Amino acid sequence: MAMRQTPLTCSGHTRPVVDLAFSGITPYGYFLISACKDGKPMLRQGDTGDWIGTFLGHKGAVWGATLNTDATKAATAAADFTAKVWDAVSGDEVLSLAHKHIVKTVSFTQDNNCLLTGGNDKLLRIYDLSNPEAAPQEIAGHTSAIKKALWCNNDKQILSAAEDKTIRLWNRSSMEEVKTLTFDTSVSSMEYVADGEILVITYGKTIAFYNALSLELIKTVEAPAPINSASLHPEKDFFVAGGDDFKLYKFDYSTKEELESYKGHFGPVHCVRFSPDGELYASGSEDGTLRLWQTAVGKTYGLWKCVLPEDLGAENSEQLYTSTPEIKA
Amino acid sequence: MAKPVSVLRLPKGPDPNSRGFDPKSPRFIALCRTSISSSVASEADPELLQREQHARSVLRENFLQCLVSMTNRKVQFHMHEKVKVEATFGASDIDVLNFQVSDLHTPIGVQKEALIRSQDVISVTFDV
Repeated sequence: MAMRQTPLTCSGHTRPVVDLAFSGITPYGYFLISACKDGKPMLRQGDTGDWIGTFLGHKGAVWGATLNTDATKAATAAADFTAKVWDAVSGDEVLSLAHKHIVKTVSFTQDNNCLLTGGNDKLLRIYDLSNPEAAPQEIAGHTSAIKKALWCNNDKQILSAAEDKTIRLWNRSSMEEVKTLTFDTSVSSMEYVADGEILVITYGKTIAFYNALSLELIKTVEAPAPINSASLHPEKDFFVAGGDDFKLYKFDYSTKEELESYKGHFGPVHCVRFSPDGELYASGSEDGTLRLWQTAVGKTYGLWKCVLPEDLGAENSEQLYTSTPEIKA
Repeated sequence: MAKPVSVLRLPKGPDPNSRGFDPKSPRFIALCRTSISSSVASEADPELLQREQHARSVLRENFLQCLVSMTNRKVQFHMHEKVKVEATFGASDIDVLNFQVSDLHTPIGVQKEALIRSQDVISVTFDV
């Protein structure tokens, strides 16, 4: 019998959740960080959504958040004109990097030595975290606010998306622009999948997949509504997307077929990401919540439990809930 | 009619009284550096490491002596946001996270007993 998806709602934020990121898989599981307009980014256990801590210090909306691979460091970008680096184990602020305008995006290199930032001052900045007092390297070129910047090609190159409706590829060593993609409308989100060098871009109702090295188009898929964010499954069999109609959509990557769609959020979905093991995806919304969704509905994983009809009423000491999707934590 | 997937419990929400990052969690205990690690140069050279360790002991001892000599004295705390307050120093907790003080003079009155967060303090001044 088909099972109905039960999303897990993570509450705690008091304003829209605008960005989220997963860490890699660590000996302690994997972790999730959420950026929120309430200025208080939160760290959660990735497979359960359990709150671990809140990073306190920003004095404005946090627009971007990221974790390093082993979840020992976090970085956040905020409207208070700073990007901050945090110890993700103790929650302490480690560095505050002053900028000249709202910072929108942050990204660590794989060795955690450098931090890339971008924001409304239209500049990409590279900070050497072992020498934070030194002035960052600056890359100019975008003609409008930068929305998202990330490292790619083994940290040898940088991809940036801005309000000037372009995505640009830069060489880190020369700090020069290598290639530009121009769109009719501003790109709403960008995800880089290192394994396979795939770039996932969303704009309008389109989810587009590009080769991250050559910026050649692989394929595009149209969704039923304007999409704000999409994420490709680690095994590249599915991708998920969410946007202005509050729903989450799951598509087959090869056939482009829409497989599932879920209602649940009470506002537009701003960000969606697959977990590093692909077993779940997390969405952040204007409604101030994060929701965790199962990739394989009905599978036992994290807090979800597969219950066969004969198990109900058995001598099972665990308390089981059959909850409706509207239940909040 | 499809059955909704069962859930063991709901995700735990934030603790209203703390910012979290439980120091008793296995990850914290395993990963949290409670001290400043040795410099990169001394990791390679054992003699340099020994000298560095000696310097650390001297500095630590001086710091602890300072705390002892401040006890029951009137001290001035210089804190963030241009705050300067006077109080009688009591003690520090073991991790130097909080200072216990008495008769803390604040713009809104004198607090008989108070705890001051050490991370808010820039410097402490007192007469020997």
